[in-house]
Amino acid sequence: MSLMAQNPLSLGHILEEFDQCADLNHRSYPEVEIDVLYFSHSVDSVLFMREIQEPFSKTRLDEVDRLLQQSQFTPAKDPKQVVIGILEGNVGVFHRGMVYLLDVFSPETRGVQQSETETIIAGPHDAFVESALTNISLVRGRLKSPHLKIRKYAVGEVSKTAVYLLYIKDIANPKFVDDMERRIQTIETDALNDGGMLTQFIEDMPNSVFPQFLTTERPDVIASKLAAGRVVAIVDNSPTAVSAPAAFFEFFSSPDDYYQRWALGTALRLLRYMALLITITFTALYVSVTTFHYEMIPEALLRTLAESRNRVPFPPVYEALLMEIMIELLREAGARLPTKIGQTIGIVGGIVIGQAAVQAGLTSNVLIIAVASSAIASFVIPSYMMSASIRLIRFGIIILTGVWGNMGLVMGIAAVVIHLSGLTSLGTSYVIPVAPMKSGDWKDVFIRAPFSMLRTRPSQSATSNRVKQTNRK
Amino acid sequence: MPEKLSPFHIAILVYMTQSGIVIFTLPRSLADYFGTNGWLVIIPCLLLSSFNIYLINLVFRLGKGRSIFEIMEQSVPKGILYPFYVCLTAVWLVFGCMIGKKYVLLFQMLAFPTTNPMLFKLAIDVLAFMMLIKGIYKMSNAVTLFFWMTIWMFGLLLWFFPSFRWARFTPFILHGGHDQVKGAVEVYAAYLGYELSILLFPYVNKSKGKKSMAAIYAGNVFLSFVYICLSLICFGFFGPGQLKKLLYPVLDLLAYIQLPFIERLENLLYGFFLFLVLVTVVMYWWAAQLTIQRIVPKMKTPVLLVILLGISYCISFVPKTLDQVNVWITNLGYAVTGIAFVLPLLLIMILLIQRKGGASHV
Repeated sequence: MSLMAQNPLSLGHILEEFDQCADLNHRSYPEVEIDVLYFSHSVDSVLFMREIQEPFSKTRLDEVDRLLQQSQFTPAKDPKQVVIGILEGNVGVFHRGMVYLLDVFSPETRGVQQSETETIIAGPHDAFVESALTNISLVRGRLKSPHLKIRKYAVGEVSKTAVYLLYIKDIANPKFVDDMERRIQTIETDALNDGGMLTQFIEDMPNSVFPQFLTTERPDVIASKLAAGRVVAIVDNSPTAVSAPAAFFEFFSSPDDYYQRWALGTALRLLRYMALLITITFTALYVSVTTFHYEMIPEALLRTLAESRNRVPFPPVYEALLMEIMIELLREAGARLPTKIGQTIGIVGGIVIGQAAVQAGLTSNVLIIAVASSAIASFVIPSYMMSASIRLIRFGIIILTGVWGNMGLVMGIAAVVIHLSGLTSLGTSYVIPVAPMKSGDWKDVFIRAPFSMLRTRPSQSATSNRVKQTNRK
Repeated sequence: MPEKLSPFHIAILVYMTQSGIVIFTLPRSLADYFGTNGWLVIIPCLLLSSFNIYLINLVFRLGKGRSIFEIMEQSVPKGILYPFYVCLTAVWLVFGCMIGKKYVLLFQMLAFPTTNPMLFKLAIDVLAFMMLIKGIYKMSNAVTLFFWMTIWMFGLLLWFFPSFRWARFTPFILHGGHDQVKGAVEVYAAYLGYELSILLFPYVNKSKGKKSMAAIYAGNVFLSFVYICLSLICFGFFGPGQLKKLLYPVLDLLAYIQLPFIERLENLLYGFFLFLVLVTVVMYWWAAQLTIQRIVPKMKTPVLLVILLGISYCISFVPKTLDQVNVWITNLGYAVTGIAFVLPLLLIMILLIQRKGGASHV
């Protein structure tokens, strides 16, 4: 074996590591004793031309060493670094037993587009894409501060996914930053594919139905969370960013609230809390009233309800569960199918559920109203994760009301409240600012007060720098 | 470091522990035992409970915020203390249990006459277990949420303003009552719950000690305000004569509320009182758990809770009817009232002896 082959940084050794990697490019410049290895789909072809192709084609052998002294060429110390570097989109430059890495990473990515899951009426429409660096650029474009710090980690034994931790120094609580760092570093998995997946590894109670970290695709939301003192994680190859700590009530605010006049923002926010109430109680109340508490129906409505229920052979709880499951099926089918077919499914499903089911005697008109109102209300909740969680717990409450009527409803709500009270996000209470009581935060949680009144950062951020806006006139 | 309870949460805890099942019968008890303008009796009850809170406050100050168990264990031999702990645990455990059972039996009377009440009781016990397992800080979070979810019902009193008549109060004061001593104890039971604040000392932020103690008064005063408003409305709506004849005047009051799309709301509204009852039950059981834990400190909290709740569930099978439960609650009410006054006095004595011993030793 030659001395060269024994060198772990030799071309042969690295090529062995990339055995059977058909997408690996190997190019030689024998005149200057240079070999380069790279994945063509990961590198910027223009940069490659300018930094590698042209210089090494025109340079003489005695000038190569001087060329490689340029700062863009990073000398590698061990073969692991070379392999990871090439995998991450660097070009490996081999010259006389030395290896240099040149960062020309520029993969093909989707262009910045609108978010499909978090649409708003007013305000910016750009959304995160799969490239973490693009996402970071979208955030940096909004927060032009050197205090915006970014730490990088590689997560996943196989995937080595880049996870970036963003925070604003002097605003974010260092305890949260360190806690997030510790949690990210302790993740043990083969591959990390998405921000939503990350949350499940690092949440305080991963078995709970409720999301304890806020996930979003919107850079404006992330910028506001950072400015509020929260810590953000951006996962490479995922358009979902994670903000922590988060609170239950935070999931009911939308960026739209801030881009419209405060009175409108307040009205919409209150509407969302009403939607929460409707989602949880409407179908359950129907079941409770029609099973046990007919006395609650005013006389004028009683006849209509009785007529409507007359043809239905099942107990109300079965009827309600059947309809709720149908709605969920429709929603899931609509989400999985292409948009055009999805719309058709919606219309056909609507007719089937809305008319045919009533005519067939499978359900009553009033239940259709209750189920539809409940479903519509659930879609009003801006966070998909929270909306899905609430839809799920609704089933439990419907079953409880089917067994114990109003008492079941109240017991179900009590169980949810007890569960929520026990949750934490990065060790902070999930139900802040109600418990612990932080009345100063209410003006940006239950209503959206005018900006002149929103001068402090949320208590949950536990920041030493609470004032975000001075009284300038 | 575990988080401490803020004064606001202490006030809410005290108020929510105090208000419970007794709210349904309080106006009738006032009218029945004290006659016309019986609602005035709430004021001496407020003063007496405030005095009791003053004693608790004194224990906090003399003991410098130490746990009452630490104070007792420092001076009293375990041979005497452990039976005392067992008695305290038994009283608090069974009192909480009977409050839960009474709520269940009342609900059964309203809506589910054929269902076994012990099934409802089991469900309430499961909810209580879910709360207790989280510890006092998270329990206080849940209690605060329950507070906001029930306090809006106070606004329902406005509904009765149009039918409210001052004339129904009559110009006479405390005429037509009977058994005032028995009545006073029964009415005073409506205040019970504040005495458990004596167990909150280790969870109080020492730097906010004064405010925390003031919060206990605040919770008690707020409860009195609610009681006075409710009783005034009941006296002005029904009049003392009719009030005496109603078994559960607050339930009857709720039955008058009608909305365009829904009427006879009392059933649903009664459900919301579960939050109040649950907090009362949970706080008494928490007190029982804390006390018995001094004897078996190594036993894991979930195991201990399962045992305690299992025992209390078995005991709740004994009284079958509402009348029997009422007898249990009345008798245990005497014991709890006794504990409320005797325990702080006992602790003050111990603390004074400790202080004297410490001084002479110096």
